[in-house]
Amino acid sequence: MVAELGNFALVMALMMGILLSIYPMWGAYVNHSRMMAMAKPLAIGMFVFTVFAYACLTHGFITDDFSLAYVANTSNSTLPIYYKITAVWGGHEGSFLLWVLIFSTWTVAVALFSKAIPIKMVARVLSILGMVAIGFYLFMLLTSNPFDRLLPFFPIDGKDLNPLLQDIGMIIHPPMLYMGYVGFSVAFAFAIAALISGQLDSTWARWSRPWTLAAWSFLTVGVALGSWWAYYELGWGGWWFWDPVENASFMPWLIGTALIHSLAVTEKRKVFKSWTVLLAISAFSLSLLGTFLVRSGVLVSVHSFASDPSRGLFILGLLVVIIGGSLALYAYRAPQLKGNGRYQLFSREVLLIGNNVFLSAATLVVLLGTLLPLVHKEIGMGSISIGAPFFNQMFTYLIVPFVLIMGIGPLSRWKSQSPQALYKQLLIAFALSVSAAVLVNASFEQSSYMATLGLVMSFWIVVTTIMEIRQRIEPQITSGKYSILQSLQKLTPSHWGMVSGHLGFAVTLIGIALVSAYNVERNVRMAPGDSVTLQGYEFVFKNVSEYSGPNFTADVGHVDVYQQGNKVASVAAEKRFYPVQRNVMTEAGIDSGFTRDLFVALGEQLKNGDWSLRIYVKPFINWIWLGAFIMAFGGVLSISDKRYRMTKIVHKSKANKTSNPTLAEQLS
Amino acid sequence: MKKIALYLIPLGLFLGLIIFLYQGLFSNPREHQSSLLEQPMPEFVLPDLMNIEQTYNEDVFLGKVTLLNVWGVWCITCAIELPYLKQLQGEGKHIVGLYFDQDMDPDFGIKTVARVQQEVTDKLSQLGNPYAFNIFDVKRDLSMDLGVTGAPETYLIDQQGKIRLHHIGDINPRVWKNKFAPVYDLLVAQ
Repeated sequence: MVAELGNFALVMALMMGILLSIYPMWGAYVNHSRMMAMAKPLAIGMFVFTVFAYACLTHGFITDDFSLAYVANTSNSTLPIYYKITAVWGGHEGSFLLWVLIFSTWTVAVALFSKAIPIKMVARVLSILGMVAIGFYLFMLLTSNPFDRLLPFFPIDGKDLNPLLQDIGMIIHPPMLYMGYVGFSVAFAFAIAALISGQLDSTWARWSRPWTLAAWSFLTVGVALGSWWAYYELGWGGWWFWDPVENASFMPWLIGTALIHSLAVTEKRKVFKSWTVLLAISAFSLSLLGTFLVRSGVLVSVHSFASDPSRGLFILGLLVVIIGGSLALYAYRAPQLKGNGRYQLFSREVLLIGNNVFLSAATLVVLLGTLLPLVHKEIGMGSISIGAPFFNQMFTYLIVPFVLIMGIGPLSRWKSQSPQALYKQLLIAFALSVSAAVLVNASFEQSSYMATLGLVMSFWIVVTTIMEIRQRIEPQITSGKYSILQSLQKLTPSHWGMVSGHLGFAVTLIGIALVSAYNVERNVRMAPGDSVTLQGYEFVFKNVSEYSGPNFTADVGHVDVYQQGNKVASVAAEKRFYPVQRNVMTEAGIDSGFTRDLFVALGEQLKNGDWSLRIYVKPFINWIWLGAFIMAFGGVLSISDKRYRMTKIVHKSKANKTSNPTLAEQLS
Repeated sequence: MKKIALYLIPLGLFLGLIIFLYQGLFSNPREHQSSLLEQPMPEFVLPDLMNIEQTYNEDVFLGKVTLLNVWGVWCITCAIELPYLKQLQGEGKHIVGLYFDQDMDPDFGIKTVARVQQEVTDKLSQLGNPYAFNIFDVKRDLSMDLGVTGAPETYLIDQQGKIRLHHIGDINPRVWKNKFAPVYDLLVAQ
């Protein structure tokens, strides 16, 4: 009964979506304010019905309603309650319900927090979101309805949630990732609304910036969590595998990063308008493409859901309509988008667009690497596979010029920058970063060129970022009006957002460089009492004990770690057996530290009673994820900037409608 | 007009991509077999299933026409084809088993080798042993290199160690007559 209500709520949400896509858009066309005003209640309605449907499905999980096919496939009566709640997104249908739930959340957020934006624009934006919603709700109702029943013959118990997903990382990873993916739909809708309206000044860029930053921050956290989850749950000791599904989340992130920078240029300098629109379309398109790749079974991956050509065909149809339609609109309108700002060859504008080029090139590399095996086969050249070495090599080539520009960009001026003025500063920055890198590198036993290169790049970003802050506050200090602290406080939150984003990137880069170069691993056969020494750490294998969890049994290997005779850590590496799915899972024992992780995975028991163990010492690996969180925090800081507080700024911005150029200067 | 053409590029690229994605939907991504035909056996060094101390490499196939049969005790279809393989062996065919265990995770298996050997001995004494010897694909590396999608699968390898045929599924008299016999007879005649 509850499930039928859920199904009904989904249909109602679809109806709301259909109305939302028609009335406000038509109202904006004929300038009918009451029709435009319908956008808000319709968006709220769509959200409320979707929440209700979601609650109904959750109810099905909590009450073990195995007459629902989806519940029977992804849950089990012995599953702990918190995993029952999160198992709602443990399979294709439910995770898609979460997808549309988050989509309707973004839609309702736009409806509620856009008071400062002209009603016509909001109506168009919401209408476009409504059109996208129609596709998603139809897809769910027609091809993957989570409320399908298995009546009259339903199983007594469920098949259980995939043990890989029974984990804290998996509880928060998909919602974060979807918040990011789906969030780009807002940037997309703003761009399309701007194209439709023909109102092609750069105001839409200002409106869409906070939304894009929010989506980007979520996506950053989501990708980082996914990588962290793969690190400790898969037990392979790696943190990024260039798996097609990882790539599918990484591509929107790369383009999203380009987009937040390009939006800044378009807003402040009114240039690169058509490029920014194209990026906004691409970011969402890549999110959709990711959905297609994951859910159609076109590519083989550890993540992919069961393949089903009819689903794939439906999503492909959606791609053609949504992406194809918007690109056609783009081709029709973009020629009218003319930048009216002027800039010289060496200026912040050009450096930013340079960075955009490298980010787009990186996206293209990932896209080609992911799809080439498919294309290669379809044109009859046989199967190939493209692995990590290809991606690693390409990214090493791309990141050097990228980081170079990333350092110079913030230091340079808009419009025009004389190279001579920066020359000395950059030379100092370069010398500083090289010496810092060499010093840090010297603390490791054998030094590696790649690690040195990575460290030089990281310190280059750090040094130039500090220089940029100094350059920014210098006039105020020399004028004698403010102290250093006061002038630092006068910097805008969005400026600190940039600083935080760039420093976060440097932190991630340090982590990647050091862990890639100095990671040590060993596979050993050990009997209880044996010890092995790795990088100055002595791992003593104490014993193996057994215990049973709610829905699994486990062997636990206890390992103590000593450094110079002092015990520094004690880790428990588990090997779990889940009887329902007959699956063996490793839960690695990890002692996390600021400068290193000690990682122990328990292998199989050998004939003579010994155990095989896999032991890693991973320097600075946590910095990879720490950096990602700092980047995301930068996004949050930027959003908190006053000029995005739309309800308050409404009167001011009307007063300043004539927009004197000094305002733009102040804001930058 | 020239300008519009420029802005049409993204649309064009996208539509091109769609064509491939559409085709991709209707082909099996796990299909690898065609690429291996006429290729030499991939390099490997793997132990004998029954005598772990002894190892084989790809040279073991030289000089003889061999049927390499991928199987496991957990595989039901394999059990069905075993008696027919036994019959083929009786007709003088050289059959080598490539054994992999399903419950064995590539890194962290739960079965001991002794138990696997016991299971295999039980199964073969019950249904007949067609194998000259069994190669134990411990980590399933060779199966991966061969593009094995499941079991049973059978490869026909010529005297030069080249793969000439690949069959997915069981071998029965019909499959043998239609698919294997023509190639096999030709190879033996050489």
